[in-house]
Amino acid sequence: METIKNYLESMFANLPNTEEVRKAKNELLQMMEDKYNELIDEGVADNAAIGTVISEFGNLDELAEDLGLKEEIEEAQEMESENPSVHISLDDVKSFITNRTKKAAFLATGIMLIISSISCPILFSADFDNDQVNMPALGALFMFLFIGIGIGLIVYSSFVDSDWKFLKRQPCQIDMNTASYVKERRRSFEAVRGICISIGVILCIICWVPNIMFAQIHNIGPGVMFILVGVGVFLIVYANKISSGYNILLKLNNAKTIAGSYTKGSLKAPVKYVSKTGEFIVKTYWPTITCLYLILSFATFQWGVTWIIWPIAAVAHNAVLINCVEDQD
Amino acid sequence: MVEISSDVIRGYNDTMILYILSNEPSYGYNISKQIKAISEEKYSIKETTLYSAFTRMEKNGYIESFVANPDPEGNGKKRTYYQITENGKNYYKAKCDEWEVTKDVIQKFIHKVD
Repeated sequence: METIKNYLESMFANLPNTEEVRKAKNELLQMMEDKYNELIDEGVADNAAIGTVISEFGNLDELAEDLGLKEEIEEAQEMESENPSVHISLDDVKSFITNRTKKAAFLATGIMLIISSISCPILFSADFDNDQVNMPALGALFMFLFIGIGIGLIVYSSFVDSDWKFLKRQPCQIDMNTASYVKERRRSFEAVRGICISIGVILCIICWVPNIMFAQIHNIGPGVMFILVGVGVFLIVYANKISSGYNILLKLNNAKTIAGSYTKGSLKAPVKYVSKTGEFIVKTYWPTITCLYLILSFATFQWGVTWIIWPIAAVAHNAVLINCVEDQD
Repeated sequence: MVEISSDVIRGYNDTMILYILSNEPSYGYNISKQIKAISEEKYSIKETTLYSAFTRMEKNGYIESFVANPDPEGNGKKRTYYQITENGKNYYKAKCDEWEVTKDVIQKFIHKVD
């Protein structure tokens, strides 16, 4: 029965996703299912039953005319012949995901190294009572080394998935099976992503803690702070990069066609804003708060106090959303 | 066995479906099964052909559809049933008359060879 379902889905994949077409697909599936079940009950082998049902299905051209879809079908066929959409198989999808994970790791590590590099000169200039080595110079050396490796990794990460650049340039399509595989993978990654981002954000917020803990030891606090921020940013970038990979796959199918409905419900509906100003406020909200936090903190160096901005901002965020975003229903 | 070409029979799919529906309301697969049985397995209608006929005849007001459960005990999935309308009955009669004429005309051109 799975084979029959997939066959029907592939026949309908490029038709417009309208009420009429969905109804036609369901009705045809029901007839095929009835026929298949009866053949199985008569003792016909599974393969033979599938063969019979598919061979007696007919063709969609005839149906399209009666559904008033002739133009759409011809249009779809014309587009197909001019610019054929690439079928992305399940194996392709698996290798894309592996690739994406690799890219995410390189990119996130690169960014982490660059952020943490700042802590090298700070840590090395700490008072270690060592006269033989020029510590500040050594610190600067390590900083540039980290930055160099970081930039190298970021550049390399953009080449890792260069084989997949065509996904953005060409129309591509995944079938229903593949779409449900991706949906499942993304669902199970959601929990990991949640943990990564929470820890990442917590690390960025509590990065000032070492400043207080190691207040007696000069420079250790600020040094560790940048490492914590680096690790935090690593987790956030890594998780988001992988997650956006799943979304790239799920958005491949043309949303207006039946194939576009395979991924329906898995992608967030685009948020509607009450006005342009509302959109601007919501989109710049967290970056603004982050800037504010950093400016205040560095200006006053009262890290123990300025973190209060986060819980306040979180509460205020809800109020902002209520006023700026239209209700989904 | 001689296969019926779909071009020839196309104009009479509606007649067959309406004939079956004039007995009682029925659903997709059941109708296709009856067509096969009544034609003594000489003709089996394709699913797409059948569904096109449904949509076309429903648009023209010859049949109406409703959703019901084929199993009186309420097991199993619901199916779309079709029933014939007054318009449909008139159309069916007209098609029968047309067939009588068609049959006579074509028959005059059929030369029996052994």
